[in-house]
Amino acid sequence: MKKIIGIVLFFTFLSATAFAQITIRGIITGDGEPLIGATISVKDENRGALTDIDGSYSIQVNAEDAILVVSYVGFKTQEVPVNGRTTIDIDMSENTSVLDEVVVVGYGTQKRSNISGSVGVVTAEEITETPVLRVEQALQGRSAGVQVTQNSGSPGSGLTVRIRGIGTINDSDPLYIVDGVPVGGIDYLNPNDIESINVLKDAASAAIYGARGANGVVLITTKGGQRNQEGKISYESYYGMQSPWKTLNLLNATQYAILSNEAHINAGQVPLPEFANPQGLGEGTDWLDAIFQNAPMTSHQLGITGGNASSAYALSANYFEQDGIVGGEKSGFDRVTVRFNANTDIKPWLKIGNNISFTNLQRQFLPENNEFTTPLVRALNMDPVTPVRKADGTFAYSRYADTDIVNPVNAIEQTHDKWTSNRLVGSVYGEAKILENLTFKSTYSVDVTYAEQNTFIPKYDLSIDTALADAPSGERSLINTVVLGNNRWTNWQWENLLTYNKIINENQNLTVNLGTTVLSNRHDFSGGANTNLPSNDPADAYISNTIDPITSMSAYSGANESSMISAFARVNYEYADKYLASATFRADGSSRFGANKRFGYFPSFSFAWIPSRESFWNIEEMSFLKVRASWGQNGNDRIGNYGYTTVVSNGQNYTFGPLETITNGAIALAPGNEDLQWETSTQTNFGVDAEFWDGILSFTSDYYIKNTSDMLYAAPIPLHVGATFPPIQNIGEVQNSGLEFSLNHQNKFKGIKYTVGGNIAFVDTEVLFLGEGGEPISTGRVQSANANVSRTEVGFPIASFYGYVTDGIFQSAEEVAAHAFQSEQTQAGDIRFKDLNGDGLINEEDQTIIGNPTPDFTYGANLSLEYRDFDFSLFILGSQGNDIYNATVRYDFTYVNRPISALNRWTGPGTSDIEPRVSLTDPNQNARVSDRFVEDGSFMRIKNVQLGYTLPQTISERLNIDKFRVYISGNNLFTITNYSGLDPEIGSRGALELGIDRGFYPQARSILGGVSLTF
Amino acid sequence: MKKSLLIILTACCLFSCEGFLERSPIIGITQDNFYQTEDDAIAAVNSAYAALQFELSPAGHFRWFWGDIMSDDSEKGGSGDNDVFELLLLETFQGPVNTDMLEGEWSANYEGIYRANTVLTYIPDMDIDETKKAQILGEAKFLRAYFYYNLVTVFGDVPLVDHILSASEFNQARAPKSEIWALIQQDLNEAITVLPKKSEYPLSDLGRVTKGAAQALLVKSYLWLEKWSEAQSVAEEIINSNEYYLVPNYADIFTTGGENGPGSVFEIQYMNASGGNWGRNNANEGTFTNIFQRARGQFEGFGFNIPTQDFVDEFSAEGFEDPRLAITVFREGDAMGDRGVFTKEATGDFPHKYYPRKYFNNKAEEAPFGDPAPNGGTNDRVIRYADVLLMHAEAAYHNGNEGAARSSLNAVRERARGSNSTILPAIQSSGQALLDAIYRERRIELGLEGHRFFDLVRTGRAASELGGLGYTDGVHNVFPIPQSQIQATNGLITQNPGY
Repeated sequence: MKKIIGIVLFFTFLSATAFAQITIRGIITGDGEPLIGATISVKDENRGALTDIDGSYSIQVNAEDAILVVSYVGFKTQEVPVNGRTTIDIDMSENTSVLDEVVVVGYGTQKRSNISGSVGVVTAEEITETPVLRVEQALQGRSAGVQVTQNSGSPGSGLTVRIRGIGTINDSDPLYIVDGVPVGGIDYLNPNDIESINVLKDAASAAIYGARGANGVVLITTKGGQRNQEGKISYESYYGMQSPWKTLNLLNATQYAILSNEAHINAGQVPLPEFANPQGLGEGTDWLDAIFQNAPMTSHQLGITGGNASSAYALSANYFEQDGIVGGEKSGFDRVTVRFNANTDIKPWLKIGNNISFTNLQRQFLPENNEFTTPLVRALNMDPVTPVRKADGTFAYSRYADTDIVNPVNAIEQTHDKWTSNRLVGSVYGEAKILENLTFKSTYSVDVTYAEQNTFIPKYDLSIDTALADAPSGERSLINTVVLGNNRWTNWQWENLLTYNKIINENQNLTVNLGTTVLSNRHDFSGGANTNLPSNDPADAYISNTIDPITSMSAYSGANESSMISAFARVNYEYADKYLASATFRADGSSRFGANKRFGYFPSFSFAWIPSRESFWNIEEMSFLKVRASWGQNGNDRIGNYGYTTVVSNGQNYTFGPLETITNGAIALAPGNEDLQWETSTQTNFGVDAEFWDGILSFTSDYYIKNTSDMLYAAPIPLHVGATFPPIQNIGEVQNSGLEFSLNHQNKFKGIKYTVGGNIAFVDTEVLFLGEGGEPISTGRVQSANANVSRTEVGFPIASFYGYVTDGIFQSAEEVAAHAFQSEQTQAGDIRFKDLNGDGLINEEDQTIIGNPTPDFTYGANLSLEYRDFDFSLFILGSQGNDIYNATVRYDFTYVNRPISALNRWTGPGTSDIEPRVSLTDPNQNARVSDRFVEDGSFMRIKNVQLGYTLPQTISERLNIDKFRVYISGNNLFTITNYSGLDPEIGSRGALELGIDRGFYPQARSILGGVSLTF
Repeated sequence: MKKSLLIILTACCLFSCEGFLERSPIIGITQDNFYQTEDDAIAAVNSAYAALQFELSPAGHFRWFWGDIMSDDSEKGGSGDNDVFELLLLETFQGPVNTDMLEGEWSANYEGIYRANTVLTYIPDMDIDETKKAQILGEAKFLRAYFYYNLVTVFGDVPLVDHILSASEFNQARAPKSEIWALIQQDLNEAITVLPKKSEYPLSDLGRVTKGAAQALLVKSYLWLEKWSEAQSVAEEIINSNEYYLVPNYADIFTTGGENGPGSVFEIQYMNASGGNWGRNNANEGTFTNIFQRARGQFEGFGFNIPTQDFVDEFSAEGFEDPRLAITVFREGDAMGDRGVFTKEATGDFPHKYYPRKYFNNKAEEAPFGDPAPNGGTNDRVIRYADVLLMHAEAAYHNGNEGAARSSLNAVRERARGSNSTILPAIQSSGQALLDAIYRERRIELGLEGHRFFDLVRTGRAASELGGLGYTDGVHNVFPIPQSQIQATNGLITQNPGY
C-alpha cells in the first residue's frame, strides 16, 4: 500500500514540474458569506493572494500537489491540497478555540496551547470593543489578576497597574515592553495601534526579564501590515460628551447657618449676627454644581496598511482631544501620535524592519489628589452662603472658609499648569537566517522624551473692589510667578538574539534562545522660576520676562543615569505536544546595585502536561485540558540610581554677612550601602487551562504564592544618628498569594452570535518582615486629623488604615465620667473611643488597624452579541472588600461646609449615636483618625456599553468600501456602591498610600458616537 | 556573512562590562572625594549652621513653642483647638509622647550634632590653614554644645553622640544629664580658646559664632548647674571684652536694621529671599516664625503665641506701664506695621486681645519672590547682651555680690527707661527682693523671646507659677522623649518619668 502511494506521489511530483504555474480560482466563504480579504498562500512557496469583494481569488501554484493555506481572522486556518483541481471553493469554519493563536512571549512567540507559564492575553478586538483613551484602560478587567486603577478622572492622568497585587512597598509598576523595547510608561501609545497585550504574570514567564520582571511584564505588540495584503485605508472617529455621574448633597445655606449658630453656642460663643435668620439665606450656592461641567472628547484615526510578498507596512496617525468635567480646558488633554511599522526581506536570508512612533502630548492640569488645593476639596468645603460671583460679576470670596478653602471657580480660572511632551520611541532590526534552524536578530532601539512643564500663577485679588479687607489670603496673589521645568529622558538599548529551533523528530521540538542586552538610561532636568512679570497673560509666562533683577531668578539643573548589561538563555522543549517544559536563566549587571552586588542571576522552570492529548483521554466534552506548574525568581531594580554611594549634598546653606549672602553648606544626608541589591521575588504558580466542546466554553485558573524578599526599605534608624535620611537596605519581605479564574463562553443561538465571559482574582497581601524591631511604617497624612492614616505593619496588608475605634456618642456627662479619660473638655455629644488596652486613658496606644484599602477580590465581566448587522457589548468591572478613608471634609477648619449627614448631629440625649455635636472647638478630637471615616469602597460599575451597526456588504460593495460601521457607546453608565464620596474608583498616591480620598477628580460618565470606515 | 556576525557577537560579549556599569552620581560628590579644600571645610561647618534653622520637620518646634507657649507668658492661639492640637496638650501639660513636634526638636538637634561631628571627624586631618582649621573646629564645637544645650533642657537625659556612629553603634541608651553638661562645658571651653571675637571676624562672616557667644552659652550652662562663681567670672569676661553694649532704644533691637546689632551675642540668621519652600528640614534660609506669630485675617498670619493677660499685667506691676510692653505686645488699636490697624474684626475668625510683636514683619519685608510663609526674614535673637547682664546679676547675687548684681540689673533698666526718668527707677533692694527683681526683669526684658519656661524650671519656680496650668514638678521639668525613639531602639531609650 505504502509503495503505491509512494509511486503516485512520485508521478504527481513529475507531472507538477511538467505543468508549472497552474492558476487556481475559487471563492472563500465563511458560514456561507463571502470573505473579503482572506489570505491564500501556497505552503512552502513564497507567494500569496487575497480574496476580493466577492470572496473570489486567483493564485498560481507550481505543482498540482501544492497545498493552499487559507486564513482569515476569527476562522480556523485551513490547509487544502490542490490535488490537481483548478477551481477550489472553500468554506471556512469559525474558530472558537484560542488554542492555536500565536502569543507573544518574551523574546519570541508560542502557540497558546503550548505555554507552560501564566500569560494573560488581551486581543486587539477586546481593545477596540471599548473606546479607551489610554492603553492601560484596555487592560482593566480583561485579565484575571491584573488590577488597573484610574488615579484620577482628570483627562490624561495616569493609571496604576498592579499584577498579582502589590508585591513591594516600593515601585510595583510592571515592566512595559513595547515591540521589544523597554519603555518607562505607556502613556504615549495610541490604543488604536495595539495589536495585542500579553501579561506575563508568573515568575517563570517573566524571568527572562530578570532584574526587572518582579512586578510582572506587560508585552505590547503594535499593529503591522500583513504580507500579501492589498493596501487598505481606514478612518475611525468618535465624538463624545462627558458629564459627572454623581454629585453630593451638602448643607445648603440655611442648614449651614443653623449648624454654625449651634457650633458657636456649643463653644460658648455668640452666633454670627448675619445668621440670625437662617431661613432667609435660602439654598445658597451649590459649589459642586459650580465647578462641574459637561466636556467634549473627540478622536480621529487614520490607518494605512498593506504588504506584498516580501514586505509589509502600517502607517497610522491619530489625534485625540478631551476636556475635563472640572475646569473644561483647564484640565484638557490632547495627543497626536504617528506610527510607522514596516519590514522587508532584502535577501532570502535577511529581513529588516522598524517600529517607529512619535507622540506629542499636551496636558493642562488642575491640582489633584490633595486636600489643600484641589477644586473638589474646595467645592466640598466652601460655605454655601458665599455666592460664586458678586453682584458686579467679579468672583466672590468667603468670609467664613479658611486658608486653603478659596473660591474654587476663581482658583480654576487662575490655574495655568501645562505639561507638553514630545516622545520618540523607535527600533530598527535585522533578522538573518544563519542556518536552516538558526536565526540571529539584532535590534537597536531608542526612547527619547523631551518634556516641559510650565506653571503660571497670575496676579489677582478678589478684595480689591470692596470695603472689607478680610478676604482670605488664599484669594489674593499680589505677585505673579512663573515656574518652568524641562526634562529630557534618553534611553537606548541594543539587543542581540540567537534563536535555534529544531524539530528533532515528529514528537520532539526544541527551541533555544540566547541573547544579550545593553541598556542605558539618562535623565537630564533643568528649570527655574521667577516672579513679578509685567504681563499677567499666561502666554507671556517666561522667566526672562521679569522686571525684577536677574538675581531674583532661581534655577536648577541636574542629571542621573543608569546602565545595565544582561545575558539570557531559554530552552523550550515540547514532546508530542503533550509534555512541555521550559527553563530560563538570566544574568543582569546593573549600575544601580552596590559595588559588591553588581550582578544578579535569575533562574526559572516551568512544566505543563496536556492529558487531553493522551490516547487514554475519553472525556469527549472536555476537548482540551492542560495542567501547569512553574517556579522562578525575578528582581525589581527600581531602587533609585545611586543608593550604594555616600554622597555629599550641597545646598545645606546658611546666610552670613550684612547682605545675608547665601553660603553653601555640604553634608552627606544619608549613609550609603555598598551591599545594596535588587529586590528578589520568588513565585510558584499552579494553573489549569481547559476547553469544552472545542472552545465553546473555556476556563483558566491559577494559584500562586509570591514572596518578595530583600525588599528595599530605608528602615528608620534612631534619629540620634543624625543622618537626614536613613540608608537604604535590603530588609523587608512581603508575601502575596492569590487565586485567579476566568471563564469564557461563546456560541450561536438563532442567528445571534454571543460571547460571555468573566474573570475574578483574589489576592492576599501580608507584610512578613520590616527589619529588626519591625517598626511599622506610618504614612498617608491627612490634614483634617493632622495625623497619618496608613500603616504598613508586619502581619497586615500594605498601607492598612490605622486609628481609633469609635463606640457611639456620649449621651450624658455621666457616660463621659464613666468612660476612660479622653480629654478635660470632653462632653455629652462627643464621640466615645474604645479603650482598647483598658488602661482607663484614651491615647495613641488605643489605635489599631481599622481598614484595608486592598480589595478581597476584583472582577471583570463582558457580554457581546452579534445579530445580523448589529453588534452589542457590555463590560462590567468591580472591586469587593476594599475600604476607603474619606478625608475630604476639612474638620481642621471650623467654618467649612459639611455633607448633609451633619444634620443628624447630636443635639441632646438620644438624638444621635453616630454624628457628634457641632462645635467651633473640638477638644475631644472627634475628627481624629478613626473608623468614623472608613467606608466600604466596594463597587460594581458598568464600564462600557456599546451598540454598533455595520452597513450590509451588499450595500458597501456598491459603494466600493470594505466596511462601514457606526456605533454609540457609553462609559461609566451605572455604578453600584455604598461609598458616600464622589467616586469609589480611587487610585493611590505612592506605594504606601492607598484608598485615601482627598477629593479625587471623579471619573466622568460619557456618551459617544463613532464611525469606522475601511476601504 | 557568518564572519561578520561572529564579529558582532564577539563585540557584544566583550563590551566593557564593568566600565559601562560604573555610574557615579552626577550631582554631588561622593564622601571619599570631598574634604579636600578650605572651601570644603567651610561648607562642612556651614551645613551644621543650617541645622540651626530647622524648625519645621515636619511639625513646627520653634524655640518660642517651648520657651513661651509652655510658660505663663503666652498661649497657643491658631485657628481653634484642632490647629496643632498637640501643642495645646503640651501647654496644658497633658504631654502626648508621640508628636511630630517633639520628634522634630529631637531630630533637628541630632542632625546638627551629626553635622558638627562630621566636621570634627574629617577636618582635623585636612591639609589647610591651621588658624582657619582651628576656627572651624571651634565653630563646630560651639554648635554641638548649642544643640546639646537644647536637648538637655528640653528632654533631660539624652543619648550622648560625640562621633559619627557606625551601623553597629546606632542603638544608644540615654546618658545622664551630667555627662551631657560635661560635654557642653568641654566643647564651649575649647571653642572659647579658638573662636574669634565678634570684632575680629570680617564683615562677610557676620553671623558666625563668636568667642562671646561661646562664653554666653557657657554662662547659661553654669546657671543651670548653679556654678555661680564660674558663671559670674565668665560673664564678666564678656562684659569686660567691650565687644557688646546695649543699644539706646529698646525698640531698635527688633527691627531688621537691629539684626546682629551691638547687643547681639548669638543670633540664628534668617533671610526672606532664599525662595525656600515648605518641607522637612529643607534648604530654607527663611523662618516660619513670622507667619506663625502674625495675626490671622488681614494680617495673613497663623495667629500663634498669643500673650496672656498675666504677662501683659506684669508690665504694669510697678505702677506705671513699662515702655517695653508696646515693643513686646500688640494691643487693639496698635498699627501692625504697614499691614493696618489691629482691630478684632481684622484678625479673622479667631480674634485675640493681644498678639506678639517682637517677631512681627512688615508686608514690605516679606519675601520678594516665592511663598512668604517659609521665607520670613527675622533673625532669632537667641542670646542678647541684656540676657548676659541679667545672668551676671543672677550669678553675682548668689555669690553674695549684690552690688555687682544691682549694677548689671540697673543697666538693663536704665536702657529701657530711656529719657523718661519717672519710670523704671534703679533697684536698690537686696536679698530675696533683689533676686525677685532680677527674675522679673528677665520676664520683661526677654519676654516672648523663648526664655520664660526654661527660666522657671531652672530657678525652681515652675511649680508655683505654672501649677495652675497643670505643671507638676519632677515630671514637666522636661518634655516626653519621642515615643518613636523608644521603639526605634527597641526600648533601650526610656521614657521620662511621669509620661
